[in-house]
Amino acid sequence: MTTLFDPSRIPTLQQQERIRPWNKRTKKFDVTVALAVIVPLLIVVAMFQFSDIPDALVMVIYLPLQLIASGIAASLTKGKRGIGDSIIIVNAIGASIFSFVVIISVIWSLLSHGLKALSIPFLTQNSTYISPSTPLEYGGIAHAALGTLLIVAISALIAVPIGIATAIYITEVRGKAVPYVRFFVQSMSGVPSVVAGLFILTTLILTGAINTSAFAGGLAYAILMLPTVARTAEEVLRLVPDDLRTGALALGSTRARTVFQVVLPAAKTGIVTAIILGVARVIGETAPLLMTAGKNDATVTNPFSDPISTLPVSIFENVAQPYPDAVTRAWGSALILMVLVAILFTTARLIGRNKVK
Amino acid sequence: MATPDLQQRDLQAAATSHRGDRVFNRAITVAAFVSLIILAGIAVFLGAQALPVFQELGFSFLTTTAWDLTTDPVSVGIFGMLYGSILLSVVALVIAVPASLLLSIFIVFLAPKKLASVLTNSIDLMAAIPSVILGLWAFYVLNPQADEWQRLLNEYLGWIPFFENASGNFLGTPFIAGFVLAIMVIPITTSVTREVLGRTPPDLINAAEALGCSLWTMLRYVALPYGRGGIVGGVMLGLGRALGETIAVFFVLKLVYDTNWYHVIESGGGSVATLIVSRFGEASGPFEVQLLLAAGFFLFLMTLIVNMIANLIVSRTGRLKK
Amino acid sequence: MSTAEFEKSVVALENEFAKAAEIRPIELETRDVSVWFNTRKVLEGVNMQFEKNTVTALIGPSGCGKSTFIRTLNRLHELLPGAALAGEVLYEGKDIYGPTVDPVHIRLNIGMVFQKPNPFPSMTIRGNVLSGLKLSGMKRSNHDELVEQTLTSAGLWNEVKDRLDHAAGELSGGQQQRLVIARALAVNPHVLLMDEPCSALDPASTLKIEETIRELSKDITIVIVTHNMQQAVRVADNTAFFLAAEGEPGHVVEQGKTTDIFGNPQDQRTLDYVNGRFG
Repeated sequence: MTTLFDPSRIPTLQQQERIRPWNKRTKKFDVTVALAVIVPLLIVVAMFQFSDIPDALVMVIYLPLQLIASGIAASLTKGKRGIGDSIIIVNAIGASIFSFVVIISVIWSLLSHGLKALSIPFLTQNSTYISPSTPLEYGGIAHAALGTLLIVAISALIAVPIGIATAIYITEVRGKAVPYVRFFVQSMSGVPSVVAGLFILTTLILTGAINTSAFAGGLAYAILMLPTVARTAEEVLRLVPDDLRTGALALGSTRARTVFQVVLPAAKTGIVTAIILGVARVIGETAPLLMTAGKNDATVTNPFSDPISTLPVSIFENVAQPYPDAVTRAWGSALILMVLVAILFTTARLIGRNKVK
Repeated sequence: MATPDLQQRDLQAAATSHRGDRVFNRAITVAAFVSLIILAGIAVFLGAQALPVFQELGFSFLTTTAWDLTTDPVSVGIFGMLYGSILLSVVALVIAVPASLLLSIFIVFLAPKKLASVLTNSIDLMAAIPSVILGLWAFYVLNPQADEWQRLLNEYLGWIPFFENASGNFLGTPFIAGFVLAIMVIPITTSVTREVLGRTPPDLINAAEALGCSLWTMLRYVALPYGRGGIVGGVMLGLGRALGETIAVFFVLKLVYDTNWYHVIESGGGSVATLIVSRFGEASGPFEVQLLLAAGFFLFLMTLIVNMIANLIVSRTGRLKK
Repeated sequence: MSTAEFEKSVVALENEFAKAAEIRPIELETRDVSVWFNTRKVLEGVNMQFEKNTVTALIGPSGCGKSTFIRTLNRLHELLPGAALAGEVLYEGKDIYGPTVDPVHIRLNIGMVFQKPNPFPSMTIRGNVLSGLKLSGMKRSNHDELVEQTLTSAGLWNEVKDRLDHAAGELSGGQQQRLVIARALAVNPHVLLMDEPCSALDPASTLKIEETIRELSKDITIVIVTHNMQQAVRVADNTAFFLAAEGEPGHVVEQGKTTDIFGNPQDQRTLDYVNGRFG
């Protein structure tokens, strides 16, 4: 997963705003463009309404139709050169609409299916004595939500200090191995989640060192969280002005005190962002938990003793069940998981925005 | 005059001559190498599991396509799965790469500032959707839609070998799985290409204006050649993600122990990651777990190599820009 | 001994004392200091002596290595990538680049104020003044007294005494600069290096800081880099003129009493520079 939090791109966009020679417009342009949008739309609507052509096919037909219309409009206003531009513009708008459609569809389906599951028992009970065929009024996913939080907390306790230390190595200690460390962190961010699960399974669980438990799940999550925390923390530490470091050293500070009492406090909000993004990166991962944390219908609070259920695993368990209530439970769990992710990302965004100002 | 004198003093050694700081430096350095230790650990421990499998089955583990432990000797090989992972990734990239490029072009060069930031945020939101939720959505919402599209593809373009479908079953196809992967790849690739295109030097854009002030010429002769390295790197990062994705593919792909070479809208395909998850729950014993660990080792190797190449390309182009 | 004779001998003694006072002990000294960044030599053969409790101004056009030089005096130079150095810097007679010397100890005794005010944004005004103690692990009792005393020395006490617990970022640029001076004083340094401390400030703040410098020089040795020649005349006992020819490393053209450098320079280039003909 690449960096989602990137303050540097804000000036880049503003900078690009001014240099867009191809955006110059003429009056004729507006009328022709309006026609080029309206005519194909009308044709498509007419096909929806009055022909037997299947809806999906109509949607497929729309794109070449729009391309032709825009191409004609472009060649009328800008000559031959405009045709190439119009193809790009139509496709670019199409790609943007496509991504909006996907996101809205995901969110809409989460809300429309997931809200049906929400109830007080669903949010507060566990799934003891609940089978897929049990009606929705009984049982809940509180145990899974608790499991997710427990595992995420364990992984954060492990990955956050190491991730921040890695960032400190890169930006503060500036040792000889910086390029290598960055390279390994980047490579690590590409480790498939299922491999992280297998690694913990083979080194610690199959050898009998630890049980299938929240702790094992936390270790697997930590592997996935570490690179995100390290890379984001590196970026925010880079934003701390060198003045402060030199200022502290000039006061007779050691490097260690400079880092802990000046640099990290100055980057406090950014560090919080790094932690949040790390948590958001792992919170929905399923495959590693199947191998390390397992599942459990009862509520588990001991992180070392027993298998434990989590939101992703409870979604996984309920998908494709032949019972509608089980599927609704899956949607309900997914909705809660998505709300958790959304809260984390919004918080990270708000913190990040304040800092950029 | 610029030749360093003999009496030049060793400042680097002097810089760390405070004792407390030497301890601090060492502790931080050790922590910084945890990522290397974990990578090496994964390679060693999963490799150690792969080794006996190799000794028993030889290269046939990589070259055959079968998963039957009831026969004697067992007939097991992950070729179809490795190939399937690649096929799914190719489908994903065929959809995701043009989409990401177009999205980046729209954000960087075309959209008004407000719309650009809305789009940027929603693509980041797309990256934030957990794969298990995407899989759930794909299973219940995308599947019926995709079924219809694929039927159309087969009806009108069925003469192209890729779009043949003999079974009449259009669910669980590499196309659907690749489409879901594309949705995961798009945010990753877009965030890289967007940044690369955004760094096109303004004076080069102005120079392109002299060539006829069309977006097409500017992209063709300036932005795309200039950002080529970064774009390739972004695509490779997306590929790494597609190869390793597990759960979403598990939901929508019908896993078959057979090699689906190129029939992308024919039901059934393979994926190493999905094989691991789907067999893990019902593994028949320690040997099958070991087989899955060996499969995981090769999945790790494959994604690690792809990611390393991607990061080398991205970091190299990044350095050139500075 | 008659009264007249006694008075005469007293005057003679006083003169001798005055003479003795003129020859102050050397606190800081550089011997043949040359500085590189990677293979580029930026300073060559600088020999200077800084007498105890005096103000020395380093003047010269931009890029002549003044700031680089001042950073070698408390081992901040070595923090920059590619930094190299030859020669010796003696503090109280001992080489500060010696193998057993702890740079932390050196920086504690030789403080520094930078061009741009750099108070720590995460701390209050009071916290900034005391930050040196915290960062260097020094123990001092009676913090309140120390805060008042150093802020008074830096000429800031009256302006901030009612808002010591406010964020340091609230202060104006001039106030921030005096705050970092107070911060540097709180660790009780013997030498204070100032790298163009007034270049980012308005004339009123500059005057205040110059007053502060004069006041401080009663107790500590000050080395100040400045672009402003009037400032050198106003605050400095001694002045050194740095110059770098095109593509050559910088060196000291002339050094001596400020009154001599500005009133009766020996080198034509110094004369040209102090009369504003270049730089």
